[in-house]
Amino acid sequence: MLGDIITPDLFASALRMATPLALAAIGGTICERAGVVNIALEGIMLTGAFFGTAMVLLTGSPWLGVIAAVASGAGISAVHAFASINLRSNQVISGTAINLLALGLTGFLMELWYGHPGTTDPIKVLRPIFNFESPGGGAIAEAWRWFDSIVFSHTPIVYLTILIAIVAQVAIHRTKWGLRLRALGEHPRAVDTVGVSVYRGRWVAVLMSGALAGLAGANLTIEQVGSFTENMTNGRGFIALAANIFGRWTPVGSYLASLLFGFADALQIKLQILRGVVSIPPQLFLMLPYLLTVIVLAGVIGRAVAPAAVGEPYEKG
Amino acid sequence: MNEKREQPVLVQRRWMVAAQKIGAPLISASLAVVVGSLIIWASGYDPRAAFIALFEGSFGSPKAIGDTLLKATPLILTGLAVAYGFRAGLFNIGAEGQLFLGGLAATWLGLSLAGLPWFLLIPLMLLASMLAGAAWAFVPAILKARIGAHEVITTMMFTYIGRYLVSYLVIGPLKAPGQIPQTAELPDAGQLSRIQALFSEATLASFEFLKLGRGHLGIVVAVLAAVLVWFVLKYTTLGYENRAVGFNPWASQTAGISVQWTTVKALCISGGLAGLAGSTEVMGVHHRLFDQFSSGFGFTGIAVALLAKNHPIGVIPAALLFGALAAGAGRMQFQADVPQKIVLIIQALVIFFVAAEEIVLWFIRRRQKEAVSHAG
Repeated sequence: MLGDIITPDLFASALRMATPLALAAIGGTICERAGVVNIALEGIMLTGAFFGTAMVLLTGSPWLGVIAAVASGAGISAVHAFASINLRSNQVISGTAINLLALGLTGFLMELWYGHPGTTDPIKVLRPIFNFESPGGGAIAEAWRWFDSIVFSHTPIVYLTILIAIVAQVAIHRTKWGLRLRALGEHPRAVDTVGVSVYRGRWVAVLMSGALAGLAGANLTIEQVGSFTENMTNGRGFIALAANIFGRWTPVGSYLASLLFGFADALQIKLQILRGVVSIPPQLFLMLPYLLTVIVLAGVIGRAVAPAAVGEPYEKG
Repeated sequence: MNEKREQPVLVQRRWMVAAQKIGAPLISASLAVVVGSLIIWASGYDPRAAFIALFEGSFGSPKAIGDTLLKATPLILTGLAVAYGFRAGLFNIGAEGQLFLGGLAATWLGLSLAGLPWFLLIPLMLLASMLAGAAWAFVPAILKARIGAHEVITTMMFTYIGRYLVSYLVIGPLKAPGQIPQTAELPDAGQLSRIQALFSEATLASFEFLKLGRGHLGIVVAVLAAVLVWFVLKYTTLGYENRAVGFNPWASQTAGISVQWTTVKALCISGGLAGLAGSTEVMGVHHRLFDQFSSGFGFTGIAVALLAKNHPIGVIPAALLFGALAAGAGRMQFQADVPQKIVLIIQALVIFFVAAEEIVLWFIRRRQKEAVSHAG
């Protein structure tokens, strides 16, 4: 039975499931490092998923869809940026408004453009980049099957995400930009004092997190599912926030934490497929990623320290 | 300034503060409706026809008013839940999950104790739903108090877990015989009666306004809960500590209030109120449990609480507004062809404008302070 569960496909699936979480989590990392809480990741991801799908339906081009997803993600996060930076609204409440807005707007446009609620028509998706022949039998072929499945079976955004995690890690910890970004979240007054605009820095961070969460939406629809369904993000934005915390506000940490949640998701799907073999109701599996999130948060929080000024609106002195 | 001027200045300020408290939410709600109309107009629909249909569907007849009351009932309770949390500085975003557990507990108890008379069964079911809601908030509460795990993430996760739990139970162990995944119907003694059922045919014939259609007695439970929460917050030690911790946890700690214990109590009471919304839905509307029995009342409760400025009595008119939107949405889609989802957009806009309005108020207050300090 274990042999049915532990297959190369399970790990490949974990990597796929981790991708949208990781993108949103890295977005959350950048945003919170700059001192702005982004509860809105969920809604931004949903927005990206919808507009990405709509663009593919309109043009037939998956890549234009990805661009639309990123742009719409950045666009709706601009609302969050304006409210939480310029208007100094409560960031958690502003994020909640964005989440509801995204839910309403995507559902509304769905009916307006496609004439029905629920799920859109299937779209053209991005295919895996590599497609190697598998050699014949034997132990080496078996090893290759694992390697090929886990490493070479993926779609472009899955690889792009790993690259983004590394680049963001270096950018945050090894560049002048990163130093300023971290200062924005720890001591914005100091940034202001040396003549760097706190508002502009935070705006850039919020827009970047929106673009990344939008890309996460594109991965969901244009690479994984192949259509848009209302509220399809299903709490992933919140799990991504937890992944960011578990990854201690670092991009690579966020990615690794997302792998854990992605694995829980992959396992859940696998167990559902194997329902005949494992007689546990599917709803109990569906709870798995959410339960894991709570357990991880319970275990890690005391030792993870958030940026000092996170959530506090900055007031020009 | 001479001394005669001082008195009127003070009186005017108090009056202005009161006007702000009521006026600011009204402005926020109006702005949301205006932007909502613009979206309806930009989408090629007729906003006038939309709002006429919305009004007719929510206040146009006694039956429509009954529908508004029906939708406002759970919203008062979830609004109270969120507001009570906010007053302690906690954001219970997971009222929806606690509502699910409340509905589950009430249904389970109602079906298990089917023989009891109504005056025992109904209070027991209401109580069970509160306990279940509180229990569902307990783990996030402990995690928040002990290690600071953010309640927004944990209560949200528990919402998903709760939904899947209910979904599993109505497909599995609690499923009634038949094709549909739902429980058996509650016994009559476990149902909250419709308001119009309390009156005789003759009375209804002469007093048309009592024909409130599907409006049920849950509204009485909800309004009583609002008054009780108001009393607790204003006049009891429990409420005082809740507000003190929400206002300034460090000062409260210094003053000898246990912030951790207050946090746990606040989230659990909040969860209990949300749980109560689950039981009134089950007992007054559906009379059974199935997995889609709440249409996001827990989330709308956030908008209700914010619009009410977290005031327990203010929650009632705020819930009526959102209840009216929910009740009229169907007719709006049917009559003016506008997708019902516009209601969600308007809710989001209300939250947004309430959050952004703080800045307006802050300026007003500063002006007033300056005026007073200049006067003094």
